[in-house]
Parts: sequence; C-alpha cells; structure tokens
Amino acid sequence: MLSLWLRRLSTDRIARSHNSAAPLVVTGRRGNAEILVAVDDAAERLGLSPGLALAQARAMHPGIDTMPEDAEADATLLESVADWCLRYTPLVACDAPDGLLLDISGCAHLYGGERELVADLSGRLENAGFGYSLAVAGTIGAAWAAAHYDKPASHACGEERAILESLPLSALRLPTTTVAGLARVGLKRIGDIIDLPRAPLTARFGSDVLRQLDRALGHEHEPLTPRLPVAPYVAEQRFAEPIAREEDVLAITRRLARRLQFALERRGDGARRIELALFRTDGVVRRIAAGTSRPLRDPDDIRELFVERLAALADAFDPGFGFDMARLSVVVAEPCPPEQIGIGGGEDASELCRLVDRLSARLGARRVRRLVAQDSHIPELAEAVLPAQAVNGDAGWDGFRQYREETKLPPRPLRLLARPEPIEAVAEVPDGPPLRFRWRRALHEVIAAEGPERIEGAWWSEHGGPARDYFRVEDKSGLRFWLFRSGLYRDLAQGAGAPTWFLHGTFA
Amino acid sequence: MDEQLRQRLMSLQRIPGPVERPGLLPLGIPAIDKVLGGGLMRGALHEIAAAGEIHLPAAAGFALGLAVCTPSPRLFWITEDMGLAESGAPHGAGIDAFGFAPERLVMVSTAHRRDMLWAMEEAVRCRAVGTVIGEMRAGDIGTVAVRRLSLAAAESGTLALLLRATPPTDASTAATRWIVGTAPSIPEREQSEREIRSRLTAHLVRNRHGPAGSWILEWSDNDERFILATHAQPVAAPAFNRSHRQVA
Repeated sequence: MLSLWLRRLSTDRIARSHNSAAPLVVTGRRGNAEILVAVDDAAERLGLSPGLALAQARAMHPGIDTMPEDAEADATLLESVADWCLRYTPLVACDAPDGLLLDISGCAHLYGGERELVADLSGRLENAGFGYSLAVAGTIGAAWAAAHYDKPASHACGEERAILESLPLSALRLPTTTVAGLARVGLKRIGDIIDLPRAPLTARFGSDVLRQLDRALGHEHEPLTPRLPVAPYVAEQRFAEPIAREEDVLAITRRLARRLQFALERRGDGARRIELALFRTDGVVRRIAAGTSRPLRDPDDIRELFVERLAALADAFDPGFGFDMARLSVVVAEPCPPEQIGIGGGEDASELCRLVDRLSARLGARRVRRLVAQDSHIPELAEAVLPAQAVNGDAGWDGFRQYREETKLPPRPLRLLARPEPIEAVAEVPDGPPLRFRWRRALHEVIAAEGPERIEGAWWSEHGGPARDYFRVEDKSGLRFWLFRSGLYRDLAQGAGAPTWFLHGTFA
Repeated sequence: MDEQLRQRLMSLQRIPGPVERPGLLPLGIPAIDKVLGGGLMRGALHEIAAAGEIHLPAAAGFALGLAVCTPSPRLFWITEDMGLAESGAPHGAGIDAFGFAPERLVMVSTAHRRDMLWAMEEAVRCRAVGTVIGEMRAGDIGTVAVRRLSLAAAESGTLALLLRATPPTDASTAATRWIVGTAPSIPEREQSEREIRSRLTAHLVRNRHGPAGSWILEWSDNDERFILATHAQPVAAPAFNRSHRQVA
C-alpha cells in the first residue's frame, strides 16, 4: 500500500500558473473570518500555518501573496494526478482532499521492485513541481499515518506496530472530538492504547477507535475503493523512446490486442467495449474507447476500430512530446462463440457488423441507428431509435406487422416530423377534414382526404394530451400529408381550448 | 469420399473472388426497362433528385421502392442532420407500409457533408449491403466524389442511390439521373370520390445506356413494385349493348 500526500496541493496548483517570489497563502472564509487554508513552504518558514486569521498573518508579514481557495480546482488536479498514477496500478483511490492511495501489491515487479517504483513516482512528482510526502507499508492505515506524520519511507509488511507506536492518535484518522476525549484521559500516543483492554475503550469512545487501530495493524482488512472500475483484461506496454505517430500507436494497439486475444480465447470471451489509455510523458492521460456490436477477439478488427476512432479525434489527438506507455483494456467482455469461417450467412452478418462498428467508431454510436417497434399507439412513440450496436434480432417488427394486419391500420407516412408543426387550417366543423391549410407559409388546397383516424392521447395519465383525429390529405399538386386535429369541438363546452391543427408527416 | 467432402466444403465456403458482373434491376415496367437497357444497373451510382424540397418524400419513396426490388434486403440510409430537421425522419411504420422490413434498415445521420460522403462510400464498399441511399440537401458534390462512389459501387455490386432535395445544376456523371415529383391521384371511373394513391412523376433526364423519358408511376402495395399509371379514365365510353337496333 502506498500513501501519497500532496502537502501543498493548493499552493502548487496556483504556483503552476502564477509565478511570484513572495510567499503564497490560500485563504478561505470560515464563519465570519478570513483564515489561512493552505500555505506554501516559504510561508511556513515565516511561521504562518493553516488556521491563522488572515488579518493576523498580514500584520506579521505584510508582503505575502494571497489567493482565494478553490476546492473544485484542487479536486480536479488531484484526479488528474490519480489518472496519471494509473500507470503504476489500476487500484488508485482518491483520499480527499489532498492524498492518494495506491495498492501496489503485485505491481512493483513491473518496475523492478518497490524501491524503483517509489523512485520513479517521486522523480515524476518532483519534475511536476509538487511538494509531497510518500510512504509504503503493509496496510492503508499504517501507510497513511507514516506519510502524514513525518515517517516517509518504505516499510516492510509486518512492521506496522513499529511505525505506529510513537505516532499521535490523530494518525489513526479519528474525528477530533474522539482524539480530544482520549487526550483528556491521558492517552496521547497510539502506543498507549495498543495494549489496553478493549471492552472499556469501546464502551467509552465507540467502536471507531479500535476498528481504525485493527485496520492499521492489519488485523482487519480495509478495502480500497478504486476510482475507476478495474477491467477484466488488460495488456500494457512501456516504451524506451516515446512514440507520437498515429501509425505507431495503431501498431502497438494491434500488438496489445494480440496479447489480449490469448487471454480472451482461454476464457471464451469477446470484447464489447475496449479502452486504449495512452500516457503522455508530461503526465496527461488520453483515453479512447470504442464499442462493438458483437464480441470481438481478432486483433485486426480491434485495430480497425481504433483507426476510425483516431480519425474521428483528428486534432484532439495531441501526443505532446510523445506517449511512453500504452494500455489496452477490455472494459466489457461477453461470452463469444468460437469463430466459424466461411459457412453461408455468417460471413455476411459479420461483414455487416464490421461496417456498423466502423461507422459507429468514426461518427459516434448514437448516429448509427436502427428502429425498434414500441408498444404504443401514439405515432411519435411507436418506435424507438436506438444505436445499431445495441439492437439485435428483429426488433419487434413482426409483432407490429401482426398488429397492422389485425387492426387494418391505415397507411402511415414515410417521413414523420420530430414534433408536429402547427398549421392554419379551414375545416368543416365539427368532424370534417381540412379544406385548405397553410404550412410553412405555403397554402395548400386539399382535393382528397382519408380519415378520420382517431388516436386517443394517453388518457390514463394527467399529461396525456387530447385526442387526435388524423387525416391523410392530398393537395392539388399531388403532395400528400398527414394532418391531425388536436382536441374535439364537443369539449369546448367543458372549457377545453379550441381544437388546433397540426402536420405530423408526409407520404410518398 | 474425401475428395467429395472437399468439393462440398468448397461449394459451401464462399471464396472471395472477382464479383460477377452485377446484375440489372428490372423495374417490372417494360417501357422503362427497355430504355434502361434491361433494368437499373446495380453496381453503379444513380442520382434521384426531388423536383423541389417539398417533393423530397416522393423521391424518397421512389428510392425506397427501388430498394424493395433488390434481392439483397439490407438498406443503409444515410442522412444529414439538417435534412432530418427539415423533412422529418424516416418512419418505421411508413417504411413497413411500403413493403420494406424496418429491421433491415440501418440509418446513419451525419453532421457534415463530408461525413455523409464518407459513410456512403464505406457502406457501398461493403458487399453485404444491398442498397445505400445517401440523402443530401441543396448543393453539389464534386465529380471526384461521384466518381469514387461509382467505382466503389462497381467493385462491390451495391446499388448506390444519391437522393437530392433540389434538382442539381451541374452535368451528371452518374449512370442515370432522375427527377422525381409527386403526381395527383386521378379518381377511378366508378368512384365519385378520389382515392389517394402513392403516385409520382419520374423524369429520366440522363441515361448512359439509352434515351431519356418521363413516366407516371404508382406504387402498388399488393405487388410491391411500381406500376405504370396513365390516366385511369378511358377516353371513349365503353360499348353497350345495342342489340335492339337492326343492323342496316
């Protein structure tokens, strides 16, 4: 377990964009007073610390630089450091407000050992200009305590007791009231409470104290909730020389996909959603995800998907000084039947899937759609438009055809407007079709009309809407429209508004 | 025995090879098929322009009718976002009324003209797709784009239809160019009221393999194809029995 404490997160964030020689403090409002929330190294050397009133600080040292606090910007910076720590391990958790926890068990060997991993991380943090304190220990509690209380180092597993004994009780991450309560009875160090009988301590101060102690000593397991879900299949590659060209990125994607193929084949799975994470040398992480319409294993197919994704990104794909690590993970995997080559319809279906995947990868999955019949008599709700990658099978249209046969449904328009457009119409009251209407500033004379077809609104709900009488009309030049009158004349007496006419669609 | 199995396997496996000369799509109307040289060429790009923006549904219906007639049922319909906002989106129940199964339709909506052309080319290149309709608003696409689409269609044997909202102003390099508009339904003689039918006028203004022509077509739901509709009213009255008159 590695605990990283970015001691000067707020001031470092400001110092990155704002260069000043004077000591910097960050101020915030607590109650009615402006107090110091964070100080940088120079300010600390002058004797300023968080909690001091701003007026007092200014009185002591008039030449200090102040900036208001911005917790959101701090959180965003912390998250981007967390993203960038993903290169070491997928199990990274944010330890608000200014720390990170990494579970490096099993990952250290990739860097040649724990010490090298710590050295790499420290080097990068220093290059980025962060003030930090970092410690490695067997449990989260011990690592946190060591990092925050001046014992930054690597400690082997099993040494937790030695680390914690001499530290004050607040190192156990207990609330301040509890710590104050314990101090009143003379318990100030962790070493004081380790060997005390447990029952009276729990009775007096609650179960928190002992739970935190057990977790820190390793008697109880404290789980780490990673910030991002861990993918089931991951392959990564580090580069001695950073790569920047698109062809190189695609070549490495194919190589990583080939490694994943073995793992996927062994379990009989295929990838439905794949994510490529590219780690830039300057700390930015670029993530590109692609979805597929059926489980995929073939490295060439996966590479094709990313060809389109990178083409879609075009300018946004900015390699900076180059990527020094690439990681391909399968975020969603599904059971995938073994490949059948060459028999009949299988090839057609898979070619079609590839085409849909390519179009979805380049244009976005929501732009490649199929129609799914819905169980509703209201025309604009009678079908749903869903991404093609999510729809399989006949999508309910057999049921629709049966319904159409049984009820002898009048013909529906070829094009339906997303929202019915209001028109001015002259029609016979109360039930007649329109004789003339004006739509989009053009007048149409009606020479033939079919209908009415009454479609009730959703009468079971309050916001159902009035009944509609649909007419299929043809005008003098042969244009055919689907109009409806919304509302009935007989409801006028009951206080409903006058019926209005709308145009909903056009026929061929 | 082993040789037999191998032969059987070879015949089941489709070895990809050069596409046989893509067939012709007969419309079922002798007058038009003769002019087209047997039928509409599959494996080529055809332009269908609406006579005006308001006639776009008629042109779309013509394109859809052609798609229904192709043997391979998959249809990719590529539109631009502006087109969907102006004329509405293809409606599944309406497409079903035309005889085309909506589950065989994949719609692609694009934000830019160049995306539309790219998607159309990708879809045309895929052998598994039967017909591709690319719908575009006013404006012209260059001859380079038309050439690319024609070549892609020739390679894969797909029927590529370019559906335009306004009649184009430039000369055409496509295999055929049609201008389609709506036609009023003429009443049947027996009925006093008009029955609304899907009737449209199709002008063939450019044809690589023959002369131009104009026809009035009607979509027949029963036969699921176009039929030629001339005036349904006969010019002369039908003969009636004059048996009581003596022949002089």
